[in-house]
Amino acid sequence: MSEDVAPGGLTDTLLAPVAVVDAAAWHDAMAGIPEALAGVAGRHPGGGPCRLTDFHIRRALNPPDGGAGVAPFAWSARTSRRALGLAAVRLLVAGQVRSPAQGVRAAVAQGTSWVRHQGRPLSGMDRWLGELPPAARAAVGADAVTWATRLWGAVDWTSFERAPLIGRDHWWDSPHSSLLALRGRADVRAGAVHLVTLSGSRRASVRTELSVVALVEALRSRDGIMPGRVVGWWPDSGHLVRVEVEPAVLKKGVEAVEAALRWGHVRAAA
Amino acid sequence: MPRGDVTALGHTARMVLVANGRDDVLALLRHGSGPRPRFDPGLAGGLRAWLEDAACAVVTARGEDAPALFLGPRRFFGAPASADVDADAEPFPPPLVTACLVHALFRQIVTTGAVGDPLRDGVDALSVEPSRAELVRHIGSLPEAEREALSASLAVQVQHLIDLTPRFAPGWLPRTHDRLAIPLAGGRVVLCGVFDLLVGAPVAGTSSLCAVGVTSGGPWARARRVLHYVALLETLRSGHPPFRLALLHAAAGRCRVEDVWEEHLGAVVSHLVQRLSEMAGAHV
Repeated sequence: MSEDVAPGGLTDTLLAPVAVVDAAAWHDAMAGIPEALAGVAGRHPGGGPCRLTDFHIRRALNPPDGGAGVAPFAWSARTSRRALGLAAVRLLVAGQVRSPAQGVRAAVAQGTSWVRHQGRPLSGMDRWLGELPPAARAAVGADAVTWATRLWGAVDWTSFERAPLIGRDHWWDSPHSSLLALRGRADVRAGAVHLVTLSGSRRASVRTELSVVALVEALRSRDGIMPGRVVGWWPDSGHLVRVEVEPAVLKKGVEAVEAALRWGHVRAAA
Repeated sequence: MPRGDVTALGHTARMVLVANGRDDVLALLRHGSGPRPRFDPGLAGGLRAWLEDAACAVVTARGEDAPALFLGPRRFFGAPASADVDADAEPFPPPLVTACLVHALFRQIVTTGAVGDPLRDGVDALSVEPSRAELVRHIGSLPEAEREALSASLAVQVQHLIDLTPRFAPGWLPRTHDRLAIPLAGGRVVLCGVFDLLVGAPVAGTSSLCAVGVTSGGPWARARRVLHYVALLETLRSGHPPFRLALLHAAAGRCRVEDVWEEHLGAVVSHLVQRLSEMAGAHV
């Protein structure tokens, strides 16, 4: 695992060859993890089903001072910018729009059009956007444009042999317990390499947080393909954190999940 | 070429260009389509090293286990127009309220090019940020006379911003409220700032960005120094400063544009080091 401050190196970091991990050591490391996680989930303090996301992992590893509770989720410019920004970058990479601003406008228009025409099941964000007055929607769009432009400008999208997946979060549903599901959030997936855009201050727990992304990939793999690298990137500072996936990373990921389950504020599945 | 006057300001005798309208601003920011300036590749590293020494002194004075210290323009350059207001007595002094609304409306102008009712639009824009909920409630509770005065002030400032804010082509990649947070001393001191507007595509090895700052009041010199400070943060983030800065004064309806020079960045770093040394001294 390493860290550097070379913002121009983001594409290079994504494309760098992935270290080969000994298959037997990997197999040994994976053995028993799904069962162990299911067992922990069955004993977690809140009881009932739990769907762990990066938010829960982060909060468990960095508990708020004074044991403050978790504010209920609400849509805002901050909570919607990633979804809208990713939609914009997806359109840009596909060549369907020419700028992040056009991409965000298209994403907002699509969502609010669905609201107007009731053409398909609405997401909570689409409904929220559809009810906003124009100035509020413009503010939401402005935030998303900035988010998208930073990602769009930081990566050389022509460098990939195969088009990367943009903004597809992966869930792992435990086969041993209907109580447990884990989400691995990544903004760009290029083969075995996963880019996670980070916000907030740099924190000691970040490598552990990224280990959970690797763990989810490992648990989801049906053909034994190992995740290669998880890259964390702070647009605010240009810093990168690289996690080269190896057996020790899986162990760290499992410990993080256990910590989140112990934390006990995991919301039941909606 | 822009119609604006050309004026030399400041001890560096570098040119500060006065722009008289949004076409002037655009022309000055575009600065032709020729090659962009290149800065010494070692510049960012040198500036960072200077700051790291000062930040480490602060960490030593505060103790290794002290929580991270987040420092923004207010800590380095003082508060803007509301400096003389007791924050405890009046959490939302009128200049602060105006500044928040003006910045929200500036984002709207960049994004959509238009504003309806300035006060209503500004409040709507702030209402999508939970961190602004108290401010929105405060504005809603203002007496009618104060709301009218605020609305009138906003109308003037918004018209100035509309007159001065270029309509950027999509290829300029305009983005507003671009946050920067530069950790020093292993993250125990963090320099924070925000670009009101950043335009241009990043190009490796080249200063390819322009930055636009907005001020709704307070001393012009302070706003200019804050813009230089954020340019420094960009240098530390990407290795290159923006090559050109524009400062829009929404209340006065004026705009000045200037190049970024190493002297600007050096002067800001020198000031930050001085302030960090004072902070370290205050803890000894």
